[in-house]
Amino acid sequence: MRQSATNRFCVIACSTLLLLLTILSPAARGQEETVCIQCHGPQPGKGGAPVKAWRGSIHADNGISCHSCHGGDPNDAANAMSPARGFVGTPQEAGIPAFCGRCHAGIMEDYLKSAHGRALGKGGPTCVTCHGAHEVKKANLELINEKSCSRCHPYDRAAGIKEAMRQTEGLITDIERKIERFKGEGVDTERHEKSLFSLRNRYHRLFHEVDTAKVKRESSHIQQELNTINQTLENLDERNRRRKIAGAMVVGGLLVAALIAHLLKRTYDD
Amino acid sequence: MSPLKSIYHWLNVRLGVDELVEKRLTGYLLPRSINAWYSLGSVLLVIFGIQVVTGILLLIYYVPDAEKAFKSVTYIMNDVHFGWLIRMCHAVGSNMMVAVLLLHMLSALFMGSHKSPRELNWVTGFILFNLVLGISLTGYLLPWSQLSFWATTVATNSAGAIPVIGQYLVEFLRGGKLVGPHTLGRFFAVHVVLLPLVIGALIGAHLFLLERIGVSTPPFGQKETKSTWQGDEFRHESHPGGIPFFPNYLLQDVTSILIYLAIFFCVVFFSPYIFFPPTAFVPADPFKTPAHIKPEWYFLANYQTLKVFPSELLGLMVQGAAMTFLALIPFIDRGKERHPLKRPLFLACFIGGIILFIGMTIWGHYS
Repeated sequence: MRQSATNRFCVIACSTLLLLLTILSPAARGQEETVCIQCHGPQPGKGGAPVKAWRGSIHADNGISCHSCHGGDPNDAANAMSPARGFVGTPQEAGIPAFCGRCHAGIMEDYLKSAHGRALGKGGPTCVTCHGAHEVKKANLELINEKSCSRCHPYDRAAGIKEAMRQTEGLITDIERKIERFKGEGVDTERHEKSLFSLRNRYHRLFHEVDTAKVKRESSHIQQELNTINQTLENLDERNRRRKIAGAMVVGGLLVAALIAHLLKRTYDD
Repeated sequence: MSPLKSIYHWLNVRLGVDELVEKRLTGYLLPRSINAWYSLGSVLLVIFGIQVVTGILLLIYYVPDAEKAFKSVTYIMNDVHFGWLIRMCHAVGSNMMVAVLLLHMLSALFMGSHKSPRELNWVTGFILFNLVLGISLTGYLLPWSQLSFWATTVATNSAGAIPVIGQYLVEFLRGGKLVGPHTLGRFFAVHVVLLPLVIGALIGAHLFLLERIGVSTPPFGQKETKSTWQGDEFRHESHPGGIPFFPNYLLQDVTSILIYLAIFFCVVFFSPYIFFPPTAFVPADPFKTPAHIKPEWYFLANYQTLKVFPSELLGLMVQGAAMTFLALIPFIDRGKERHPLKRPLFLACFIGGIILFIGMTIWGHYS
């Protein structure tokens, strides 16, 4: 009698639990956004285009939002574009390098020294000519391409510079990938990350250099230092390989010992 | 008489070694139908031993200070000779301990070993399971990584859903309003002193109860599968005509332990990172919440349960009810039949429970 009551209780409890789990879904959580995005995001055409372009950019990935560059109050819709709250709007063409250079000071310096920078205000390119205004991607060699460069001058010289830098870029990407992998395995990569950071910066500063010989010379120095880091990482790979061989021997030994113990047990059972 | 025999004789006349061996090893008989699942208890003892030894070795280098904890773990992994192996064994071992403990409990449940007169064995085992979850949770915070910091924030936050005392409980667990250096200190003390001592004592109690009442007979391959225990007086369940513990079952224990160690070292050497998402190697940052923070695999079902209910309190209540039901199962499931195929309702709940747990775990992982 008691068992049958218990059984009924179990069935009811399990059914109720299953029903609740089936019909209830997790509550949706809204994403917090600035008033700039709330207002411009849904707008069609020119008003909403910057938001759409920005969403896939490196700035968006790193939490750099509208107000980070354009100023204003991102939390107060009424005063979001008030100069009193630091809104600076969009710069004139000649003011673009200074606008971006508030954060990218070193790159602005390189740009202003280069042929591109010297032609600022005289039809020369600004930051947004090559990088775009809102759809800014992580700088890479693909920014130097025939379609983009030949808008203003022949591509030959740019192609030479690109070729000199290609190997360095490949090495940096490869080392970055390796460091990321080792980092995910608990390897202390801090020293390598710092070295790579410094070398990547030296490499990026070449992006605005138009002296082919200088680019080749500097690329060679950077590559030498990158190879040293790469060698250290390859040593880590070799160390991991040795560990795996040792592991295979340990596991194999244990399985053989287990088999012997099992066979020994069977002789006693018989 | 050879010197070795002389020493043995000297010990024997003082300690009664012959009698001890006869009573506890060669003369200690177990059921003939005993199977390999019974050796999981011995495997768990070995795992606990490995956790204690590796834990002590980690203690030599680990610094329980929020400023230094992450660096000390990085030092162990990179600079201490075989430090990576010690840490991996400890971390992988904690996961394996929960997995083997679950298997041990499920096998006991399936074979009806939890039934009268072994209710106390079940209850002590169930408490041990909860303590192992507790020691895993407290140990999870110690590396002071993004993963450990935020997983502990989420886990301790759940207690806040309990009416009236919830907020006090959260603050008591954390040692403050937020997870911080005080939480690390508290969890460290509980992880390395309090819980190992309590677990050690309960393992002793569990073994004492097993020794007093005797090993249960598996219900398989028997004509009579109902329990014959009357409940009128204490009776040790002996197994005349059974197989001796030594050498027969000890060799089964050794086989199971060696197979476990092979699997364990396979994970340690070849794929330890199944238990370590990338956030496990990023230092804790209270100002940067990582996306998709998830608890350890064995808490994923609980995590998902909390998410599917509209309020955390309801989720906690359902989990509390389920755990209470499991803890008291020998007192609820009181039928004498022990064979699972002759207990269809039990079998349905058993399989349904496992499917529900696995389903919620997978859902929790991908949610």
